[in-house]
Amino acid sequence: MTIVCHRPEGLDQLEAQTNFNKRELQVLYRGFKNECPSGVVSEETFKQIYSQFFPHGDASTYAHYLFNAFDTGHTGSIKFEDFVTALSILLRGTVTEKLQWTFNLYDINRDGYINKEEMTDIVRAIYDMMGKYTYPVLKTDAPKQHVDAFFQKMDKNRDGVVTLDEFIHSCQEDENIMRSLQLFENVI
Amino acid sequence: MAAGVAAWLPFARAAAIGWMPVASTPMPIPPQDKRKGQDGFIILNVSGTKFQTWRTTLERYPDTLLGSTERDFFFHEETSEYFFDRDPDIFRHILNFYRTGKLHYPRQECISAYDEELAFFGIIPEIIGDCCYEEYKDRRRENAERLQDDEEMDMSNDVTPVNLTFREYLWRAFENPHTSTLALVFYYVTGFFIAISVMANVVETVPCGTLPNRSKEVSCGERYALAFFCLDTACVMIFTVEYLLRLIAAPSRCKFMKSVMSVIDVVAIMPYYIGLVMTDNDQVSGAFVTLRVFRVFRIFKFSRHSAGLRILGYTLKSCASELGFLLFSLTMAIIIFATVMFYAEKGSTATKFTSIPAAFWYTIVTMTTLGF
Repeated sequence: MTIVCHRPEGLDQLEAQTNFNKRELQVLYRGFKNECPSGVVSEETFKQIYSQFFPHGDASTYAHYLFNAFDTGHTGSIKFEDFVTALSILLRGTVTEKLQWTFNLYDINRDGYINKEEMTDIVRAIYDMMGKYTYPVLKTDAPKQHVDAFFQKMDKNRDGVVTLDEFIHSCQEDENIMRSLQLFENVI
Repeated sequence: MAAGVAAWLPFARAAAIGWMPVASTPMPIPPQDKRKGQDGFIILNVSGTKFQTWRTTLERYPDTLLGSTERDFFFHEETSEYFFDRDPDIFRHILNFYRTGKLHYPRQECISAYDEELAFFGIIPEIIGDCCYEEYKDRRRENAERLQDDEEMDMSNDVTPVNLTFREYLWRAFENPHTSTLALVFYYVTGFFIAISVMANVVETVPCGTLPNRSKEVSCGERYALAFFCLDTACVMIFTVEYLLRLIAAPSRCKFMKSVMSVIDVVAIMPYYIGLVMTDNDQVSGAFVTLRVFRVFRIFKFSRHSAGLRILGYTLKSCASELGFLLFSLTMAIIIFATVMFYAEKGSTATKFTSIPAAFWYTIVTMTTLGF
Protein backbone atom coordinates (compact mmCIF):
# COMPACT_ATOMS: atom_id res chain seq x y z
CA MET A 1 0.00 0.00 0.00
CA THR A 2 1.60 3.26 -1.04
CA ILE A 3 1.16 6.00 1.47
CA VAL A 4 0.21 9.17 -0.30
CA CYS A 5 1.24 12.18 1.66
CA HIS A 6 0.34 15.64 0.59
CA ARG A 7 1.36 18.97 2.01
CA PRO A 8 -0.74 21.99 1.22
CA GLU A 9 0.65 25.20 -0.20
CA GLY A 10 1.88 27.77 2.21
CA LEU A 11 -0.41 29.50 4.64
CA ASP A 12 0.07 32.87 2.95
CA GLN A 13 -0.95 31.57 -0.46
CA LEU A 14 -4.05 29.92 0.93
CA GLU A 15 -4.96 33.06 2.76
CA ALA A 16 -4.74 34.98 -0.48
CA GLN A 17 -6.79 32.43 -2.40
CA THR A 18 -9.61 32.04 0.08
CA ASN A 19 -11.70 34.30 2.23
CA PHE A 20 -10.36 32.94 5.52
CA ASN A 21 -7.76 34.57 7.71
CA LYS A 22 -4.66 32.81 9.02
CA ARG A 23 -6.15 31.79 12.34
CA GLU A 24 -9.20 30.19 10.78
CA LEU A 25 -7.02 28.33 8.31
CA GLN A 26 -4.90 27.02 11.16
CA VAL A 27 -7.93 25.71 13.02
CA LEU A 28 -9.33 24.14 9.86
CA TYR A 29 -6.04 22.49 8.98
CA ARG A 30 -5.54 21.06 12.44
CA GLY A 31 -8.97 19.43 12.30
CA PHE A 32 -8.31 18.20 8.77
CA LYS A 33 -4.92 16.71 9.59
CA ASN A 34 -6.24 15.04 12.73
CA GLU A 35 -8.78 13.08 10.80
CA CYS A 36 -6.65 12.51 7.67
CA PRO A 37 -2.98 12.34 8.64
CA SER A 38 -1.90 11.63 5.08
CA GLY A 39 -3.18 14.99 3.93
CA VAL A 40 -5.76 13.72 1.46
CA VAL A 41 -9.31 12.57 2.01
CA SER A 42 -10.48 9.50 0.14
CA GLU A 43 -14.11 8.98 -0.63
CA GLU A 44 -14.38 6.28 2.04
CA THR A 45 -13.05 8.54 4.77
CA PHE A 46 -15.30 11.32 3.54
CA LYS A 47 -18.34 9.09 3.80
CA GLN A 48 -17.32 7.89 7.26
CA ILE A 49 -16.88 11.41 8.58
CA TYR A 50 -20.18 12.47 7.13
CA SER A 51 -22.00 9.45 8.53
CA GLN A 52 -20.86 10.36 12.00
CA PHE A 53 -22.76 13.60 11.74
CA PHE A 54 -25.90 11.85 10.58
CA PRO A 55 -26.13 8.59 12.44
CA HIS A 56 -29.84 8.19 11.91
CA GLY A 57 -29.81 7.73 8.19
CA ASP A 58 -27.67 6.56 5.35
CA ALA A 59 -25.53 9.51 4.35
CA SER A 60 -23.33 7.66 1.88
CA THR A 61 -25.12 8.66 -1.33
CA TYR A 62 -25.25 12.32 -0.47
CA ALA A 63 -21.64 12.14 0.69
CA HIS A 64 -20.73 10.69 -2.69
CA TYR A 65 -22.28 13.64 -4.53
CA LEU A 66 -20.65 16.05 -2.10
CA PHE A 67 -17.29 14.39 -2.65
CA ASN A 68 -17.59 14.86 -6.36
CA ALA A 69 -18.50 18.49 -5.87
CA PHE A 70 -15.49 19.08 -3.60
CA ASP A 71 -13.12 17.18 -5.85
CA THR A 72 -12.98 19.80 -8.59
CA GLY A 73 -9.99 18.24 -10.28
CA HIS A 74 -11.62 14.78 -10.41
CA THR A 75 -8.56 13.15 -8.93
CA GLY A 76 -10.49 10.82 -6.62
CA SER A 77 -9.22 12.45 -3.45
CA ILE A 78 -9.66 15.81 -1.79
CA LYS A 79 -6.61 17.78 -0.77
CA PHE A 80 -6.67 20.47 1.82
CA GLU A 81 -6.70 23.20 -0.85
CA ASP A 82 -9.85 21.75 -2.44
CA PHE A 83 -11.45 21.44 0.96
CA VAL A 84 -10.71 24.96 2.04
CA THR A 85 -11.58 26.49 -1.34
CA ALA A 86 -15.01 24.88 -1.28
CA LEU A 87 -15.58 25.94 2.34
CA SER A 88 -14.51 29.45 1.47
CA ILE A 89 -17.15 29.65 -1.23
CA LEU A 90 -19.87 28.10 0.91
CA LEU A 91 -19.26 30.12 4.01
CA ARG A 92 -17.77 33.38 2.80
CA GLY A 93 -18.60 33.60 -0.85
CA THR A 94 -21.08 35.84 -2.66
CA VAL A 95 -24.64 34.69 -3.24
CA THR A 96 -23.90 33.99 -6.89
CA GLU A 97 -20.85 31.89 -6.02
CA LYS A 98 -22.85 29.86 -3.52
CA LEU A 99 -25.63 29.26 -5.98
CA GLN A 100 -23.12 28.29 -8.63
CA TRP A 101 -21.54 25.77 -6.28
CA THR A 102 -24.93 24.32 -5.44
CA PHE A 103 -25.79 24.01 -9.11
CA ASN A 104 -22.54 22.15 -9.57
CA LEU A 105 -23.52 19.81 -6.78
CA TYR A 106 -26.86 19.03 -8.36
CA ASP A 107 -25.49 18.62 -11.86
CA ILE A 108 -24.16 15.12 -11.37
CA ASN A 109 -22.82 14.54 -14.88
CA ARG A 110 -21.45 18.05 -15.25
CA ASP A 111 -23.17 18.75 -18.51
CA GLY A 112 -24.50 22.16 -17.53
CA TYR A 113 -28.12 21.06 -17.12
CA ILE A 114 -30.06 19.61 -14.25
CA ASN A 115 -32.63 17.14 -15.46
CA LYS A 116 -35.34 15.35 -13.53
CA GLU A 117 -33.33 12.18 -12.93
CA GLU A 118 -30.40 14.04 -11.41
CA MET A 119 -32.72 16.01 -9.21
CA THR A 120 -34.56 12.90 -8.09
CA ASP A 121 -31.27 11.22 -7.22
CA ILE A 122 -30.18 14.17 -5.13
CA VAL A 123 -33.49 14.47 -3.33
CA ARG A 124 -33.60 10.77 -2.63
CA ALA A 125 -30.05 10.91 -1.28
CA ILE A 126 -31.06 13.72 1.06
CA TYR A 127 -34.09 11.79 2.24
CA ASP A 128 -31.94 8.71 2.89
CA MET A 129 -29.63 10.81 4.96
CA MET A 130 -32.40 12.21 7.08
CA GLY A 131 -33.43 8.69 7.88
CA LYS A 132 -36.64 7.79 9.64
CA TYR A 133 -36.53 10.69 12.01
CA THR A 134 -37.78 13.51 9.85
CA TYR A 135 -40.73 15.48 11.06
CA PRO A 136 -43.35 15.19 9.68
CA VAL A 137 -42.78 11.58 8.60
CA LEU A 138 -42.17 11.48 4.87
CA LYS A 139 -44.19 9.30 2.57
CA THR A 140 -42.42 7.16 0.02
CA ASP A 141 -43.45 9.22 -2.97
CA ALA A 142 -42.47 12.47 -1.27
CA PRO A 143 -39.21 12.71 -3.29
CA LYS A 144 -41.16 12.72 -6.53
CA GLN A 145 -43.51 15.42 -5.31
CA HIS A 146 -40.55 17.42 -4.10
CA VAL A 147 -38.81 17.17 -7.47
CA ASP A 148 -41.96 18.16 -9.31
CA ALA A 149 -42.42 21.19 -7.08
CA PHE A 150 -38.78 22.13 -7.60
CA PHE A 151 -39.04 21.92 -11.37
CA GLN A 152 -42.30 23.82 -11.29
CA LYS A 153 -40.48 26.65 -9.58
CA MET A 154 -37.15 26.60 -11.37
CA ASP A 155 -37.77 25.56 -14.97
CA LYS A 156 -38.90 28.83 -16.50
CA ASN A 157 -39.06 27.85 -20.14
CA ARG A 158 -40.52 24.41 -19.42
CA ASP A 159 -37.95 22.57 -21.46
CA GLY A 160 -37.49 19.82 -18.87
CA VAL A 161 -34.03 20.89 -17.72
CA VAL A 162 -32.76 23.64 -15.46
CA THR A 163 -29.77 25.69 -16.59
CA LEU A 164 -27.46 27.69 -14.39
CA ASP A 165 -29.10 31.01 -15.19
CA GLU A 166 -32.63 29.69 -14.58
CA PHE A 167 -31.40 28.26 -11.30
CA ILE A 168 -29.75 31.47 -10.10
CA HIS A 169 -32.69 33.62 -11.14
CA SER A 170 -35.29 31.41 -9.51
CA CYS A 171 -33.34 31.19 -6.26
CA GLN A 172 -32.85 34.92 -6.09
CA GLU A 173 -36.58 35.38 -6.39
CA ASP A 174 -37.27 33.02 -3.48
CA GLU A 175 -37.23 34.74 -0.09
CA ASN A 176 -36.70 31.58 1.93
CA ILE A 177 -33.65 30.53 -0.03
CA MET A 178 -32.06 33.93 0.20
CA ARG A 179 -32.55 34.06 3.92
CA SER A 180 -31.14 30.56 4.35
CA LEU A 181 -28.04 31.50 2.39
CA GLN A 182 -27.30 34.29 4.84
CA LEU A 183 -27.21 31.85 7.72
CA PHE A 184 -23.95 30.33 6.59
CA GLU A 185 -21.92 33.38 7.40
CA ASN A 186 -21.28 32.68 11.04
CA VAL A 187 -20.68 29.00 10.93
CA ILE A 188 -16.97 28.97 11.57
CA MET B 1 -18.48 11.24 17.95
CA ALA B 2 -14.70 11.07 17.73
CA ALA B 3 -12.97 14.09 19.08
CA GLY B 4 -11.28 15.10 15.86
CA VAL B 5 -14.47 14.95 13.87
CA ALA B 6 -15.84 17.84 15.85
CA ALA B 7 -13.44 20.01 13.93
CA TRP B 8 -15.28 19.09 10.74
CA LEU B 9 -18.52 20.55 12.02
CA PRO B 10 -18.23 23.70 9.87
CA PHE B 11 -17.91 21.43 6.86
CA ALA B 12 -21.03 19.52 7.76
CA ARG B 13 -22.97 22.74 8.23
CA ALA B 14 -21.68 24.11 4.96
CA ALA B 15 -22.72 20.96 3.14
CA ALA B 16 -26.25 21.73 4.20
CA ILE B 17 -26.32 24.14 1.30
CA GLY B 18 -27.10 21.11 -0.82
CA TRP B 19 -30.63 20.70 0.37
CA MET B 20 -31.38 24.29 0.91
CA PRO B 21 -32.99 25.06 -2.46
CA VAL B 22 -34.91 21.82 -2.25
CA ALA B 23 -36.30 22.43 1.19
CA SER B 24 -39.82 23.68 1.39
CA THR B 25 -39.34 25.48 4.68
CA PRO B 26 -36.59 27.92 5.65
CA MET B 27 -33.51 26.44 7.28
CA PRO B 28 -33.19 26.60 11.04
CA ILE B 29 -30.51 28.90 12.40
CA PRO B 30 -27.40 26.94 13.32
CA PRO B 31 -26.67 26.98 17.05
CA GLN B 32 -24.08 29.54 18.06
CA ASP B 33 -20.90 28.12 19.55
CA LYS B 34 -20.24 29.71 22.86
CA ARG B 35 -17.00 31.48 22.24
CA LYS B 36 -15.36 30.48 25.48
CA GLY B 37 -12.16 32.40 25.43
CA GLN B 38 -9.57 32.05 22.73
CA ASP B 39 -7.95 28.89 21.63
CA GLY B 40 -5.10 29.05 24.11
CA PHE B 41 -2.58 26.76 25.70
CA ILE B 42 -3.08 25.02 28.97
CA ILE B 43 0.00 23.97 30.90
CA LEU B 44 -0.43 20.88 33.08
CA ASN B 45 2.32 20.30 35.59
CA VAL B 46 2.15 16.70 36.80
CA SER B 47 4.69 16.18 39.57
CA GLY B 48 7.23 18.29 37.74
CA THR B 49 6.66 16.99 34.22
CA LYS B 50 5.08 19.70 32.10
CA PHE B 51 2.42 18.83 29.57
CA GLN B 52 0.99 21.37 27.23
CA THR B 53 -2.10 21.17 25.15
CA TRP B 54 -4.77 23.32 23.61
CA ARG B 55 -7.65 24.30 25.79
CA THR B 56 -10.09 22.93 23.22
CA THR B 57 -8.42 19.51 23.31
CA LEU B 58 -9.23 19.13 26.98
CA GLU B 59 -12.73 20.46 26.55
CA ARG B 60 -13.69 17.69 24.19
CA TYR B 61 -14.72 15.59 27.16
CA PRO B 62 -16.54 17.90 29.50
CA ASP B 63 -17.55 15.17 31.93
CA THR B 64 -14.02 14.46 33.06
CA LEU B 65 -11.89 16.33 35.56
CA LEU B 66 -9.69 18.05 32.99
CA GLY B 67 -12.55 18.99 30.72
CA SER B 68 -14.75 20.59 33.31
CA THR B 69 -14.40 23.40 35.78
CA GLU B 70 -13.12 20.89 38.33
CA ARG B 71 -9.62 21.52 37.02
CA ASP B 72 -9.78 25.07 38.39
CA PHE B 73 -9.31 23.60 41.84
CA PHE B 74 -5.81 22.60 40.79
CA PHE B 75 -4.83 25.95 39.31
CA HIS B 76 -1.63 27.32 40.74
CA GLU B 77 -1.67 31.13 40.69
CA GLU B 78 2.03 31.88 40.97
CA THR B 79 3.08 29.80 38.00
CA SER B 80 -0.18 30.15 36.07
CA GLU B 81 -0.41 26.44 35.45
CA TYR B 82 -2.45 23.49 36.65
CA PHE B 83 -0.56 21.33 39.12
CA PHE B 84 -1.40 17.68 39.79
CA ASP B 85 0.48 15.62 42.33
CA ARG B 86 0.05 12.35 40.41
CA ASP B 87 2.07 9.90 38.37
CA PRO B 88 3.36 11.53 35.16
CA ASP B 89 3.90 8.25 33.32
CA ILE B 90 0.28 7.23 33.55
CA PHE B 91 -0.84 10.81 32.96
CA ARG B 92 0.74 10.61 29.53
CA HIS B 93 -1.83 8.02 28.51
CA ILE B 94 -4.67 9.98 29.96
CA LEU B 95 -3.66 13.06 28.01
CA ASN B 96 -3.37 10.97 24.85
CA PHE B 97 -6.95 10.01 25.34
CA TYR B 98 -7.95 13.64 24.99
CA ARG B 99 -5.77 14.06 21.95
CA THR B 100 -6.74 11.00 19.97
CA GLY B 101 -10.03 9.90 21.47
CA LYS B 102 -8.65 6.45 22.28
CA LEU B 103 -7.64 5.28 25.73
CA HIS B 104 -4.80 2.78 25.82
CA TYR B 105 -3.65 0.54 28.64
CA PRO B 106 0.15 0.21 28.92
CA ARG B 107 1.23 -3.31 29.78
CA GLN B 108 4.01 -2.41 32.12
CA GLU B 109 1.83 -0.41 34.47
CA CYS B 110 0.18 -1.90 37.52
CA ILE B 111 -3.53 -2.33 37.06
CA SER B 112 -4.47 -0.85 40.44
CA ALA B 113 -2.36 2.26 39.92
CA TYR B 114 -3.88 2.73 36.48
CA ASP B 115 -7.41 2.32 37.79
CA GLU B 116 -6.76 4.85 40.51
CA GLU B 117 -5.52 7.42 38.06
CA LEU B 118 -8.52 6.87 35.82
CA ALA B 119 -10.84 7.27 38.77
CA PHE B 120 -9.08 10.46 39.85
CA PHE B 121 -9.37 12.05 36.44
CA GLY B 122 -12.95 10.95 36.05
CA ILE B 123 -12.47 8.68 33.05
CA ILE B 124 -14.49 5.48 32.89
CA PRO B 125 -12.38 2.46 31.94
CA GLU B 126 -15.01 1.08 29.58
CA ILE B 127 -13.81 3.38 26.81
CA ILE B 128 -10.48 1.62 26.54
CA GLY B 129 -9.86 0.90 22.89
CA ASP B 130 -10.20 -2.60 21.46
CA CYS B 131 -6.46 -2.90 21.06
CA CYS B 132 -5.89 -2.86 24.82
CA TYR B 133 -9.23 -3.97 26.19
CA GLU B 134 -8.50 -7.70 26.42
CA GLU B 135 -5.28 -7.12 28.31
CA TYR B 136 -6.99 -4.72 30.67
CA LYS B 137 -9.86 -7.07 31.42
CA ASP B 138 -7.51 -10.01 32.03
CA ARG B 139 -5.31 -8.09 34.41
CA ARG B 140 -8.31 -6.80 36.25
CA ARG B 141 -9.71 -10.27 36.72
CA GLU B 142 -6.40 -11.64 37.96
CA ASN B 143 -6.15 -8.80 40.40
CA ALA B 144 -9.67 -9.38 41.70
CA GLU B 145 -8.95 -13.08 42.21
CA ARG B 146 -5.74 -12.30 44.02
CA LEU B 147 -7.57 -9.91 46.31
CA GLN B 148 -10.22 -12.51 47.02
CA ASP B 149 -7.60 -15.10 47.89
CA ASP B 150 -5.87 -12.68 50.17
CA GLU B 151 -9.13 -11.94 51.91
CA GLU B 152 -9.85 -15.57 52.51
CA MET B 153 -6.39 -16.14 53.91
CA ASP B 154 -6.76 -13.13 56.13
CA MET B 155 -10.10 -14.28 57.38
CA SER B 156 -8.74 -17.64 58.37
CA ASN B 157 -5.80 -16.14 60.22
CA ASP B 158 -7.91 -13.74 62.21
CA VAL B 159 -7.61 -13.65 65.95
CA THR B 160 -10.44 -15.64 67.48
CA PRO B 161 -13.34 -13.41 68.27
CA VAL B 162 -14.42 -14.16 71.77
CA ASN B 163 -18.16 -14.42 71.55
CA LEU B 164 -18.62 -17.36 69.21
CA THR B 165 -21.62 -19.55 69.74
CA PHE B 166 -20.88 -23.22 70.12
CA ARG B 167 -22.17 -23.85 66.62
CA GLU B 168 -19.90 -21.25 65.05
CA TYR B 169 -17.00 -22.56 67.05
CA LEU B 170 -17.64 -26.06 65.83
CA TRP B 171 -17.82 -24.89 62.21
CA ARG B 172 -14.58 -22.99 62.52
CA ALA B 173 -12.95 -26.04 64.02
CA PHE B 174 -14.05 -28.15 61.09
CA GLU B 175 -13.02 -25.69 58.42
CA ASN B 176 -9.65 -24.81 59.83
CA PRO B 177 -8.05 -27.55 61.94
CA HIS B 178 -5.30 -25.31 63.25
CA THR B 179 -7.60 -23.28 65.44
CA SER B 180 -7.45 -25.62 68.42
CA THR B 181 -5.88 -28.87 69.51
CA LEU B 182 -9.18 -30.69 69.56
CA ALA B 183 -9.82 -29.76 65.94
CA LEU B 184 -6.35 -30.95 65.00
CA VAL B 185 -6.88 -34.28 66.75
CA PHE B 186 -10.21 -34.73 65.03
CA TYR B 187 -8.60 -33.86 61.70
CA TYR B 188 -5.92 -36.49 62.05
CA VAL B 189 -8.31 -39.12 63.38
CA THR B 190 -10.66 -38.74 60.41
CA GLY B 191 -7.71 -38.79 58.04
CA PHE B 192 -6.46 -41.96 59.65
CA PHE B 193 -9.81 -43.66 59.41
CA ILE B 194 -10.24 -42.68 55.78
CA ALA B 195 -6.89 -44.28 55.04
CA ILE B 196 -7.81 -47.39 57.02
CA SER B 197 -11.13 -47.70 55.28
CA VAL B 198 -9.62 -47.40 51.82
CA MET B 199 -6.89 -49.91 52.64
CA ALA B 200 -9.46 -52.32 54.02
CA ASN B 201 -11.41 -52.11 50.79
CA VAL B 202 -8.27 -52.93 48.86
CA VAL B 203 -7.03 -55.75 51.10
CA GLU B 204 -10.46 -57.39 51.16
CA THR B 205 -10.03 -58.53 47.62
CA VAL B 206 -6.53 -60.04 47.99
CA PRO B 207 -6.53 -63.84 47.83
CA CYS B 208 -5.65 -65.20 51.23
CA GLY B 209 -4.95 -68.85 50.86
CA THR B 210 -7.46 -71.72 51.02
CA LEU B 211 -9.86 -72.71 53.77
CA PRO B 212 -9.40 -76.16 55.22
CA ASN B 213 -12.56 -77.67 53.72
CA ARG B 214 -12.51 -75.92 50.36
CA SER B 215 -10.20 -76.22 47.39
CA LYS B 216 -10.69 -72.78 45.95
CA GLU B 217 -8.72 -69.75 46.98
CA VAL B 218 -10.74 -67.25 48.95
CA SER B 219 -10.18 -63.58 49.28
CA CYS B 220 -9.23 -62.09 52.62
CA GLY B 221 -12.57 -60.43 52.83
CA GLU B 222 -14.39 -63.72 52.92
CA ARG B 223 -11.89 -65.39 55.24
CA TYR B 224 -11.90 -62.72 57.90
CA ALA B 225 -15.40 -61.47 57.15
CA LEU B 226 -16.17 -60.59 60.75
CA ALA B 227 -12.99 -58.57 61.23
CA PHE B 228 -13.55 -56.59 58.11
CA PHE B 229 -17.16 -56.02 59.04
CA CYS B 230 -16.17 -54.60 62.41
CA LEU B 231 -13.59 -52.36 60.80
CA ASP B 232 -16.11 -51.13 58.28
CA THR B 233 -18.63 -50.45 61.02
CA ALA B 234 -16.13 -48.45 63.02
CA CYS B 235 -15.15 -46.34 60.02
CA VAL B 236 -18.74 -45.70 59.05
CA MET B 237 -19.59 -44.71 62.62
CA ILE B 238 -16.81 -42.12 62.62
CA PHE B 239 -17.85 -40.81 59.22
CA THR B 240 -21.50 -40.63 60.20
CA VAL B 241 -20.68 -38.74 63.39
CA GLU B 242 -18.49 -36.38 61.47
CA TYR B 243 -21.15 -35.76 58.87
CA LEU B 244 -23.84 -35.12 61.45
CA LEU B 245 -21.61 -32.75 63.38
CA ARG B 246 -20.79 -30.82 60.24
CA LEU B 247 -24.46 -30.68 59.37
CA ILE B 248 -25.31 -29.27 62.79
CA ALA B 249 -22.49 -26.74 62.71
CA ALA B 250 -23.06 -25.53 59.17
CA PRO B 251 -24.20 -21.91 58.99
CA SER B 252 -26.46 -22.71 56.08
CA ARG B 253 -27.69 -26.26 56.08
CA CYS B 254 -29.16 -26.21 52.59
CA LYS B 255 -25.97 -24.86 51.15
CA PHE B 256 -23.92 -27.39 53.05
CA MET B 257 -26.00 -30.29 51.84
CA LYS B 258 -25.61 -29.17 48.25
CA SER B 259 -21.85 -28.81 48.46
CA VAL B 260 -19.61 -31.34 46.77
CA MET B 261 -17.85 -32.54 49.91
CA SER B 262 -21.06 -33.38 51.70
CA VAL B 263 -22.31 -35.34 48.72
CA ILE B 264 -19.08 -37.32 48.76
CA ASP B 265 -19.56 -37.96 52.48
CA VAL B 266 -23.06 -39.25 51.95
CA VAL B 267 -22.04 -41.45 49.04
CA ALA B 268 -19.23 -42.86 51.16
CA ILE B 269 -21.44 -44.04 53.99
CA MET B 270 -24.62 -44.94 52.10
CA PRO B 271 -23.54 -48.42 50.91
CA TYR B 272 -23.05 -49.60 54.47
CA TYR B 273 -26.52 -48.59 55.60
CA ILE B 274 -28.15 -49.95 52.52
CA GLY B 275 -26.27 -53.17 53.11
CA LEU B 276 -27.59 -53.36 56.68
CA VAL B 277 -31.11 -52.95 55.48
CA MET B 278 -31.16 -55.58 52.78
CA THR B 279 -28.76 -58.40 53.76
CA ASP B 280 -31.23 -61.24 53.25
CA ASN B 281 -32.61 -60.52 49.85
CA ASP B 282 -30.70 -62.43 47.15
CA GLN B 283 -32.26 -60.62 44.23
CA VAL B 284 -30.91 -57.24 45.11
CA SER B 285 -27.63 -58.52 46.46
CA GLY B 286 -26.19 -58.16 43.00
CA ALA B 287 -27.10 -54.52 43.08
CA PHE B 288 -25.71 -54.32 46.58
CA VAL B 289 -22.35 -55.61 45.41
CA THR B 290 -22.31 -52.83 42.86
CA LEU B 291 -23.05 -50.37 45.58
CA ARG B 292 -19.97 -51.43 47.45
CA VAL B 293 -17.99 -49.92 44.64
CA PHE B 294 -19.04 -46.56 45.94
CA ARG B 295 -17.00 -47.15 49.03
CA VAL B 296 -14.00 -46.21 46.97
CA PHE B 297 -15.30 -42.66 46.98
CA ARG B 298 -14.06 -42.42 50.51
CA ILE B 299 -10.73 -41.63 49.01
CA PHE B 300 -12.11 -38.31 47.84
CA LYS B 301 -12.68 -37.36 51.44
CA PHE B 302 -8.96 -36.78 51.50
CA SER B 303 -9.49 -33.60 49.57
CA ARG B 304 -10.47 -31.90 52.82
CA HIS B 305 -7.02 -32.77 54.02
CA SER B 306 -5.08 -31.86 50.97
CA ALA B 307 -5.09 -28.42 49.42
CA GLY B 308 -3.48 -29.77 46.29
CA LEU B 309 -6.41 -32.04 45.62
CA ARG B 310 -8.80 -29.16 46.03
CA ILE B 311 -6.78 -27.12 43.55
CA LEU B 312 -7.02 -29.98 41.10
CA GLY B 313 -10.76 -29.96 41.58
CA TYR B 314 -10.96 -26.20 40.95
CA THR B 315 -8.84 -26.53 37.83
CA LEU B 316 -11.11 -29.18 36.42
CA LYS B 317 -14.13 -27.09 37.26
CA SER B 318 -12.75 -23.97 35.63
CA CYS B 319 -11.93 -25.68 32.36
CA ALA B 320 -15.06 -27.78 32.42
CA SER B 321 -16.39 -26.22 29.25
CA GLU B 322 -13.22 -26.88 27.30
CA LEU B 323 -13.06 -30.48 28.55
CA GLY B 324 -16.71 -30.88 27.70
CA PHE B 325 -16.06 -29.71 24.19
CA LEU B 326 -13.13 -32.11 23.87
CA LEU B 327 -15.38 -34.96 24.93
CA PHE B 328 -18.08 -33.86 22.52
CA SER B 329 -15.79 -33.67 19.54
CA LEU B 330 -14.27 -37.05 20.38
CA THR B 331 -17.75 -38.54 20.56
CA MET B 332 -18.60 -37.08 17.19
CA ALA B 333 -15.47 -38.52 15.65
CA ILE B 334 -16.12 -41.92 17.23
CA ILE B 335 -19.65 -42.06 15.88
CA ILE B 336 -18.55 -41.05 12.40
CA PHE B 337 -15.76 -43.58 12.18
CA ALA B 338 -17.76 -46.38 13.79
CA THR B 339 -20.47 -45.85 11.20
CA VAL B 340 -17.94 -45.92 8.43
CA MET B 341 -16.34 -49.11 9.74
CA PHE B 342 -19.70 -50.80 10.16
CA TYR B 343 -20.81 -50.08 6.63
CA ALA B 344 -17.42 -50.93 5.22
CA GLU B 345 -17.58 -54.43 6.67
CA LYS B 346 -21.30 -54.94 6.21
CA GLY B 347 -20.89 -57.19 3.23
CA SER B 348 -18.49 -59.59 4.89
CA THR B 349 -19.95 -62.41 6.99
CA ALA B 350 -17.18 -63.06 9.50
CA THR B 351 -17.15 -59.58 10.86
CA LYS B 352 -17.14 -58.48 14.47
CA PHE B 353 -18.94 -55.25 13.64
CA THR B 354 -22.42 -56.60 13.94
CA SER B 355 -23.82 -53.18 14.71
CA ILE B 356 -22.58 -49.65 14.98
CA PRO B 357 -22.20 -49.76 18.77
CA ALA B 358 -20.16 -52.92 18.30
CA ALA B 359 -17.80 -50.87 16.19
CA PHE B 360 -17.49 -48.22 18.90
CA TRP B 361 -15.03 -50.18 20.96
CA TYR B 362 -12.74 -50.72 17.99
CA THR B 363 -12.93 -47.04 17.08
CA ILE B 364 -12.19 -45.83 20.60
CA VAL B 365 -9.24 -48.15 20.98
CA THR B 366 -7.82 -47.10 17.64
CA MET B 367 -8.36 -43.38 18.09
CA THR B 368 -6.67 -43.31 21.45
CA THR B 369 -3.77 -45.15 19.78
CA LEU B 370 -3.96 -48.08 22.16
CA GLY B 371 -4.54 -50.54 19.39
CA PHE B 372 -5.41 -53.83 21.04
